[in-house]
Amino acid sequence: MTGPLIPMEIIPEAWNNVIALLLGMGFGFVLEASGFSSSRKIMGTFFGYDFVVLRVFFTAAITAMSGIIYFDFMGWMDASMLYINPYYVTSAIAGGVIMGFGFALGGFCPGTSFCGVAIGKFDAMFFSAGLFLGILLFSEMYPLFAGIYNSENLGDIKIYEMLGMKRNLFAFLLIVAAVGMFYGAAFVEKKVTKVEY
Amino acid sequence: MNKRYLILAILAVAVGAGILFMPETDRDKEMKPEQLLIAIDDPSRFLTTDLITDRLVKNDPSLLLIDVRTAEQFKEFSVPGSVNIPLDSLLTTSSIGIMSNKDIDKVFCSNSELTADQAWILAKRQGIETIFVMQGGVNKWFDDIVKVEEPSPTEPSEAIALYRFRKAASQHFFGTPEIKSVVQPLPKKSVTVHKAPAGATSGGGC
Repeated sequence: MTGPLIPMEIIPEAWNNVIALLLGMGFGFVLEASGFSSSRKIMGTFFGYDFVVLRVFFTAAITAMSGIIYFDFMGWMDASMLYINPYYVTSAIAGGVIMGFGFALGGFCPGTSFCGVAIGKFDAMFFSAGLFLGILLFSEMYPLFAGIYNSENLGDIKIYEMLGMKRNLFAFLLIVAAVGMFYGAAFVEKKVTKVEY
Repeated sequence: MNKRYLILAILAVAVGAGILFMPETDRDKEMKPEQLLIAIDDPSRFLTTDLITDRLVKNDPSLLLIDVRTAEQFKEFSVPGSVNIPLDSLLTTSSIGIMSNKDIDKVFCSNSELTADQAWILAKRQGIETIFVMQGGVNKWFDDIVKVEEPSPTEPSEAIALYRFRKAASQHFFGTPEIKSVVQPLPKKSVTVHKAPAGATSGGGC
């Protein structure tokens, strides 16, 4: 937990795992409730009959983004104190390709596969087994990949900085793009024949 | 299209418009030149070698002595307890991460004050707080602590106390040099025993 409560010792560190567990359960519940434990629903994004994945993740992204910007403006939080994952260009591209390939092939992403396991889906169990196999292989062969893994670190750079754009303008454009995408997705959904699952 | 979706879409765009017209807060942490000038003019950024030594001896956890010389120079000689961040890697992400703790006093040192002071200015402009420069640098530290010279007994008591402190610190860092025996053996005196001449009696007695 990187939240402000534990580092500032408002609540003791022993709560770390408890809070993580509760958050995980909440996250899993929302995933399952949105139908993310079904690989067919997830595959709908690629075939054009169900864009719920796109909608959920983009809504989450723009909600969190707006929240951070407004909270920062109100002085409730300091956005510059947020931890930002460093951007390793090569790793990000390689990881993205592998993840996307596995996503399209298996119909799950890591989080949703555990949701699937929780409700007893066999395909999700196979997917999770493969996931752990992948982790094991990567860990064992780490010295081979270390060079690529750690190369091209651009630090905690942000997209709008790379584009030389104002943060707030970028945020607005992203929201408009998201809303546009939701409508576009709805349009495609109407055109494509419904798949029963 | 569902009416609820339309309302949500309008709400999202409204929130976005709010962001668009929000005045951007100034997160640029770099100091203004005027402020930097005032800070440079303030001699309180210099800490004496004795003060730093005192804190090093006491293992003060709120002190971080950063040696900004090159790795080779650092390897050759360094103040015990100092860490090496060469000047050219002072502003890397990891270095800034180390220095960003406000509760720790970061003290830069180099051979003289010159490079350390450059590091101080760079870090100051980067917005890093509680940073200092070791006055006189590693050379002065070496002269003061390692090559400490004994004052003459007629010096004021402060000077003698300072000498004792420096000597003790030197022993703390580098161990005790072989001590010549303080207790001088007494020179052997030949004792001549005067024998009483035979037959002499102590006068009187019973």
